[in-house]
Amino acid sequence: MGIQDMIEGKKQWRAHVARVKALPPDYQIVYKEMQRYLFKVGPTDLAGEDLLPGIVDFFEEGAAAGKGVLQLIGSDVAAFCDDLIKESPTYADVYQKSLNGNPGTDEK
Amino acid sequence: MDGLTEMLKGTLEGCVLEIIGGEETYGYAITRRLNELGFTDVVEGTVYTILLRLERNGLVQVTKRPSEVGPPRKFYVLNDAGREELAAFWAKWQYVSSRIDSLKEGPR
Amino acid sequence: MNFWETITGSDLTRDWKAFEARAAALPADYQAAWNQIVGNLFAYGNFTGRNLMPILDAALGLLEEAAADGQSVHEVLGDDIPGFCAALAGGEGARTYRDRWREQLNRNVARKLRRLGG
Repeated sequence: MGIQDMIEGKKQWRAHVARVKALPPDYQIVYKEMQRYLFKVGPTDLAGEDLLPGIVDFFEEGAAAGKGVLQLIGSDVAAFCDDLIKESPTYADVYQKSLNGNPGTDEK
Repeated sequence: MDGLTEMLKGTLEGCVLEIIGGEETYGYAITRRLNELGFTDVVEGTVYTILLRLERNGLVQVTKRPSEVGPPRKFYVLNDAGREELAAFWAKWQYVSSRIDSLKEGPR
Repeated sequence: MNFWETITGSDLTRDWKAFEARAAALPADYQAAWNQIVGNLFAYGNFTGRNLMPILDAALGLLEEAAADGQSVHEVLGDDIPGFCAALAGGEGARTYRDRWREQLNRNVARKLRRLGG
């Protein structure tokens, strides 16, 4: 299971956190707020291996090019997050779907 | 021109496909191209979310290459599915723009 | 938690134990909030447990990450935990909550970046 695996697969998660901590302060702030938002929204893409690490890849590139984080993604950070997960159903969607008929087939 | 964000939604993806269709390229270069074209509101983050979707939907082939500054960079080329999607985009675009033009020209 | 076992069946007990262990590592105020979240999500009818596990997982992830950051639980969840849970489960009013989370995200970023600059 997604986040649990990531956090419990401690080595991987710790490496990820270490990469976040190596980012410039403005990037760290934005990354953390984004992650918090994404945890609340709960897109099923969170369970994939590439959503959060992909953001860090992208941020590392921007930082290396000497850009500020808002210069990179624009000031509407929420819109950026929503774009990232535009095609991903949320856990809430999956749950709601499981309520509307077909109990037990909550797979999309 | 400013304030195009809403209007560009849905067409930007086609623009990115077109740019990638021209030659192998990467996120920052695509953003620059769009900015030079006059879409000055487009930031790298927007392009990043589009590239992520193109990759997920299997429309591009991605190669990581080392860069002179910072971490490796992802380069994109269209695959067959991507070329089909691009052709479909232009067909839709032509339809929409011709309909809107005829609306402006008024009833005949 | 026997309550959990009775409704979900034992195959989920192991997952649940892992949740409990993670929750036990949280600061006291976070643990209290977690119990409230669990209680609220249980109140949703017709769920087998399985379909709510990922939602609980993400909520716990949020708490863990915020606690590690030294934030107060109030700052993360606000004062309306039932409303927060309704939003997590995607029930009525979820959209309003998502809008609120969006605003919160942009506001927090603006505030913290300003503090960084000053």
